[in-house]
Amino acid sequence: MPIDARLLTLTQWLSPSYPVGAFSYSHGLEAAVARGWVSDADSLRDWLTDVLEQGSGRIDAIWIWRAFHGDAVEVDALARAFQPSFERLREAERQGAAFARVTREVWGLDLPDMLLPVALGRAAHLMQMEAETVAALYLHGFVGNLVQVAQRLMPLGQTAAQAVLAGLTPVCQRVAVAAEGAEPWSNAFLSDIAAMQHETLEPRLFQS
Amino acid sequence: MLQLRKEPEAGAVAQPRAQGRLDLSTKARGTVSAIDRLRSIGSMKALFPRRPGRVEAIAINTAGGLTGGDHLEINARAGAGSRLSVTTQAAERAYRAASGFARMETELSVESGAVMHWLPQELILFEGASLRRRLSCTLAADARLLLVEPIVLGRAAMGETLRAVAFDDRISVNREGVPLYHDALHLDGDALALMARRATGAGAGAMASVLYVAPDADSHLTALRGLLPATGGASLLRSDVLALRLLAADSHELRRSLVPVLDRLSADTLPTSWRL
Repeated sequence: MPIDARLLTLTQWLSPSYPVGAFSYSHGLEAAVARGWVSDADSLRDWLTDVLEQGSGRIDAIWIWRAFHGDAVEVDALARAFQPSFERLREAERQGAAFARVTREVWGLDLPDMLLPVALGRAAHLMQMEAETVAALYLHGFVGNLVQVAQRLMPLGQTAAQAVLAGLTPVCQRVAVAAEGAEPWSNAFLSDIAAMQHETLEPRLFQS
Repeated sequence: MLQLRKEPEAGAVAQPRAQGRLDLSTKARGTVSAIDRLRSIGSMKALFPRRPGRVEAIAINTAGGLTGGDHLEINARAGAGSRLSVTTQAAERAYRAASGFARMETELSVESGAVMHWLPQELILFEGASLRRRLSCTLAADARLLLVEPIVLGRAAMGETLRAVAFDDRISVNREGVPLYHDALHLDGDALALMARRATGAGAGAMASVLYVAPDADSHLTALRGLLPATGGASLLRSDVLALRLLAADSHELRRSLVPVLDRLSADTLPTSWRL
């Protein structure tokens, strides 16, 4: 694997320590755990596989590709209209704004506030990265965050959590590649419904 | 990627397929809404039961179901200040497509101060169905919209399976040229296995999306949530845009949850064909 400065920069952007506040969003997972739809390592792996292959993971990868190659402002407008719930829109909006703010200040990029995958796609294009690598690493960071979220919500040991994430790695790669030129759709209906239900969940730890 | 079947090859004997198109628009005359233009071609017909304060259209596909090569179009426009409600006489059935795919294309346009209710009954997908469906809607800044799309995956109670379905469905609602609400689903292959997965449908055999665009959207949110089962959710996407999604075991359970929701959002003007 060739290592150059761009890959290190991408790793920085998508690391949990990049200040976008990813740790405070469960993407509806908190409601799914409360409903008992996700309760252990196996059900977590199944849930996240569906989110990646059939739902928002796939669509986010499509926004990364499209923002990378096209008019990011146009992609952002469509990506907003595709958000299935208020909290999911806010999750993508706040993280995107935080990402854009830090990234344009540190790297001097022309990067307006946009939803996270759109802002990432545009920033990656400006830094001449590879869209496929960006999408794969984004998806891996996305589910990596949700595995950590799950550890706070249910009994799931560190080793089991890392095994779930390792199992999802080839899925991230496959979805990232297939997203090139693909049309946005989602069959992850229960993931979207969980995100809607989270709005009235009490008590709750996460913002989505 | 889209995996709909290809058109029949040259030389194959083409079955005569159903083609139908309904063009309809309404206008306001004082406080009354009236049909402005109406044209129906081929297998698409419409009935207009008399209703106070609005035009209600009941679209009928006289071909009795959809199969490969069929093409149905509805173009409905609620002119400035008018009220138009469109429903269907019965559930639409998408049957096995021997070759090619069926197309359903609906274009809605809601002008300033107008109200559009798009309330078709269920689409039922049967084994082998191959259907590409598009619903696009353009809204003026102060237009109001109620939209539902119920989908039923075969009739599970009768032991039907859906091992080879190709259904590609998109809804796009734009307001003054800006995307407002876009949604799409794509069932390809074994639809029941796909819907059995944990974050897709967890075994649901029916589902619906509802969209409500009006200044009073937020006033309905809490009440609607109270009407939903554990497999339903509602959210206020913007101050005047409410989205609702619902999964159910079958079409009967879906209606049981959906009818009270639609009663509320339509202010008790849900077309009577929904009661049968």
